[in-house]
Amino acid sequence: MSKRRNNRRSRREVLSGAVAAAAVGSFPFVSRAQNKPIKIGMPTIQSGRAAMVGSSSRNGCLLEIEKFNAAGGLGGRMVELVARDTKGKPEEAARLSRELVNSDGCEILFDSESSAGAFAIHEVAKDLGVVVMHMNSETSALTADPKLRIPNAFRAARQGIHDSIAAGSYAGKIAKAKGLKKWLSCSPDYAYGRDSTQLFLEYLKHFQPDVEVVGEAWPKLYQPDYTDALTKILQIKPQAMYSCLWGGDLTAFIDQSAIYNLFAQMEVFTINVADYTILTAVKNLPKGIHSGNRYLSTFPNTEANAKWAAEYRAKFNEFPINWSWENATGAKFVLEGLKKAGSTEAKKLSDAIRGMTIESPFGADGTLTMRAEDQTLVNYATGWGQTIPTEPFMPEVTPVDWQVIYELETAWKKKNNYI
Amino acid sequence: MDLPALANCVTSLSCIVTQSTSGLIIGMLLFLVAAGVSLIFGVLKIINFAHGSFYMLGAYLVLTVYGLSDSFLLAVITAALGVAVFGLLFERLIISRVYGSQVLMQLLVCYGVILILDDLVKIIWGPEFKSLGMPAAFRKPPYLVGGGVVPVYYLFLIVLTLLIALALGLAITRTRFGKIVRAVAINPGMASALGINTGYVYAGVFMLGGLLAGLAGALAAPVRSIVSGMGLSVVVESFIVTVIGGMGSVAGALVGSLLIGLVRSFGTIGFPLFTEGLMFLLMAVVLVLKPSGLFGREG
Amino acid sequence: MRTSSTLRDCLIALVIFALLAALPIVWPSRGMSDFVIRLAAFGIFATSLNLLVGYAGLESFGHGLFFGLGAYSFGLAMQRLGTSIPAALALTVLLSVVVAGIVGAICVRLKEIYFAFLTLAFQMLLHSLIIAWTPLTGGDQGLTGGVPRPPFLGISLDQPYHLYLFSAGLLVACLLLMRHIVQSPFGYTLRLIRDNPARATSLGINVWGMRLAAFIIAGAFGSIGGVVMSLFVSGAFPDFAYWTISGEAIFMIMLGGTTLFLGPVAGAVMLLMLNDVVTKLTEHYGLVLGLIILLFALGLRKGLADYLAELWQERSAARGAMQLPAAPFAEPSNKLSGE
Repeated sequence: MSKRRNNRRSRREVLSGAVAAAAVGSFPFVSRAQNKPIKIGMPTIQSGRAAMVGSSSRNGCLLEIEKFNAAGGLGGRMVELVARDTKGKPEEAARLSRELVNSDGCEILFDSESSAGAFAIHEVAKDLGVVVMHMNSETSALTADPKLRIPNAFRAARQGIHDSIAAGSYAGKIAKAKGLKKWLSCSPDYAYGRDSTQLFLEYLKHFQPDVEVVGEAWPKLYQPDYTDALTKILQIKPQAMYSCLWGGDLTAFIDQSAIYNLFAQMEVFTINVADYTILTAVKNLPKGIHSGNRYLSTFPNTEANAKWAAEYRAKFNEFPINWSWENATGAKFVLEGLKKAGSTEAKKLSDAIRGMTIESPFGADGTLTMRAEDQTLVNYATGWGQTIPTEPFMPEVTPVDWQVIYELETAWKKKNNYI
Repeated sequence: MDLPALANCVTSLSCIVTQSTSGLIIGMLLFLVAAGVSLIFGVLKIINFAHGSFYMLGAYLVLTVYGLSDSFLLAVITAALGVAVFGLLFERLIISRVYGSQVLMQLLVCYGVILILDDLVKIIWGPEFKSLGMPAAFRKPPYLVGGGVVPVYYLFLIVLTLLIALALGLAITRTRFGKIVRAVAINPGMASALGINTGYVYAGVFMLGGLLAGLAGALAAPVRSIVSGMGLSVVVESFIVTVIGGMGSVAGALVGSLLIGLVRSFGTIGFPLFTEGLMFLLMAVVLVLKPSGLFGREG
Repeated sequence: MRTSSTLRDCLIALVIFALLAALPIVWPSRGMSDFVIRLAAFGIFATSLNLLVGYAGLESFGHGLFFGLGAYSFGLAMQRLGTSIPAALALTVLLSVVVAGIVGAICVRLKEIYFAFLTLAFQMLLHSLIIAWTPLTGGDQGLTGGVPRPPFLGISLDQPYHLYLFSAGLLVACLLLMRHIVQSPFGYTLRLIRDNPARATSLGINVWGMRLAAFIIAGAFGSIGGVVMSLFVSGAFPDFAYWTISGEAIFMIMLGGTTLFLGPVAGAVMLLMLNDVVTKLTEHYGLVLGLIILLFALGLRKGLADYLAELWQERSAARGAMQLPAAPFAEPSNKLSGE
């Protein structure tokens, strides 16, 4: 009948939670407080154009939480995830975060909203003092800016600055090798799009100074029609194009550009193609698009990564995507932190998470670290390669050297007076 | 702002050709939606805020039927007819109940319908955005006219929509059906007294609006991503068009759509970050100078 | 007669404020406090819109212009200018009055649907400006970093109960002021203009001027709603100036009713509660909320408060009580607006 996947799952959650609670509560000598579930509130987007954020975020977390609970939870206390729909509105995100903590007994927040929502939720965490793990926001300022920093907020997502350095370093090499001098950018007209593009071009010039930006197109986010942008690009005739379009916009853009045969006329560098939402949605994926990985089950090319992807696919009947691994990672840091701290108390938990290194299939070397000084994720596997139209979609991925990223990131922080 | 780029473009033939084509495309698809909005307002004096949902339905229907039948033609026809039926149901079951009420109450009703439909398509088709892909018949490299780029599918769209606009215009001015519709638009009381069943006319106009919007959604599907909530952007722009062109005028909808299309396509060159603002500015200017629009009737 | 009803209104306002102030003590629930703060923001905003829709007969689609303007100017004043909260509030209201004056002067010339669309156009122009002027407004991320809340007059809005009292106080004060305005001769003249503009003109009333005044007053109060919201989320987002926020206010006054003065507040309570409950209970927010809205809109076809008031009216008329119109200019179809 209709896809009632999500409904079934949430009913299952409640059911299993109820069964667990009943089973545990039936022991008369076990004090209630000890086996009260640990509730984690997750404001996320479950409707509208970005509804994919909600489903992939929750799925990523659930996989980790189930493993944690199966291993006994925290001294018998099981973790329960309470996800609510913010509908993409920052004021709803703020309200829901407060409600989850104040009225629904949530002790920790998983911020699986988008970047604007993340700032709203950050203020709530500042106000209420609960631990918040930002899962999806890639805006570097969220953790880099010391004015925004609070001891109980962490970020498990990739960052714009890291991605731009990685992209610039790869693109610089290709530009040098293929003599790509004239560049054009076509990115969505909002904070992420503009910041990411500006940083990319900066780092491109850093690695290959002999490039010139001959034009810019700024389609609106969720704008369904790229004709004006495409015709502008074809007018200008660059040798290479950069884009950080993502999701449905990128799919539409690729489909529409195919009509103009754009990909045959220039080298295209896009951050967001190597993500299964795009790779499986685009009908005729052109080959040879340069892209950084968002999530690929073949990069890192390890058994652990492939296993995780297979588990995810089996359980949720869909490919894992960028938000899936970011949320799984954030959840894991919090759960490991709970184990290490032995408590849900905000200061103890924060202290436990800060600076922690965990084993992870998504790490550049098998591990991921929550850097202590700015409480954000580092050392995640990031690399670039070229697409082919069939699985594995990107057979060869050149990993980026994190030492290069660290060096340039520090320079960028100094430039912005963050340190 | 990038005025030199704009100046450069309007002095280059290839740029003019390319940008005008792109403006035409945007305009023609917009016209199909806006014509329905304009007609419905002209005859029923109702602003159909739910029109974007008709468009969205058309896209989802074409997706499903094309997936099952591999025939784009069949899929487009089915989608258009399907949404026409939906338009009928919407009119009979829902909107006719608030004919006498304030505009704002009608807005509330449409909002309820939009919420429901956005959620339904998410439940039935899933939350991920879908892509139709270009039908085989149109998978060819673009034509080059005067150095400018004209994609094959877009040429097809422009021609088809122009024919539809022509047919619509003729239907309204030359046929009996058109006369009846115009009569009801001008004076429903009198028309009813003369024996015209205004209920049928209202339903018919909604069906026509639904047909056009569904067609727009279906035709746009190869070049858009299909996702819940996609009707939003279309409906706002179609209102701008209707205001500029004049409520109730199909010719106005055509001119307004083309104008908006051209403003968008040349606007992205001259004002890349403020293109939406430009459209609202244009709307404001028209409202201040000639509120009834370019082709609208006064009063 | 007028003074006694003003006094009565003041007393009612005091009682309501006292009740609200006591509520968190009797029922200590932060969720409930949050609800009241949001209700303050939307209650003020929706009632201000009803000044235009219900009392002046001006159906505006773009009232969110002032909500957004209020939130951003207050937020920016606190972040950038480092003023005190009362000063920022005053600045915000002043700015809104100026903007409302300019926008209103252009818009109120037009009638009905054209007025509606022009107000929408102006609102979206502000929205585009907010999105484009990133260095000032933060663009689509909004004002980040929080809105500072320095103490003033012994009130520290960093403390939850103080913020609650401040919001409740603003709600009651604004409602009282707006009530006073609609009950004044100005308010009655406005209603005359709404019901019979031709007659008003023939009586020598400056219709355009009165409408402009109503627009400015509505704008000023609307911006205060934005201020409360910006305090609640400690920031400001472009959402606050998008046409959807105008839509929410419209739905509130439609659900609650445009005839009774407190109709919009009732509608705000309804919409907020529906929103909160539906979000909590199901993932299918759109489906459930949409169905409920349709039930209301198609079933009642008028605001709940209006519907109940009419029901009561019919009952008391059935009991044979004589109804004298309580105020001059009251038209038969608006028996309740004099009360």
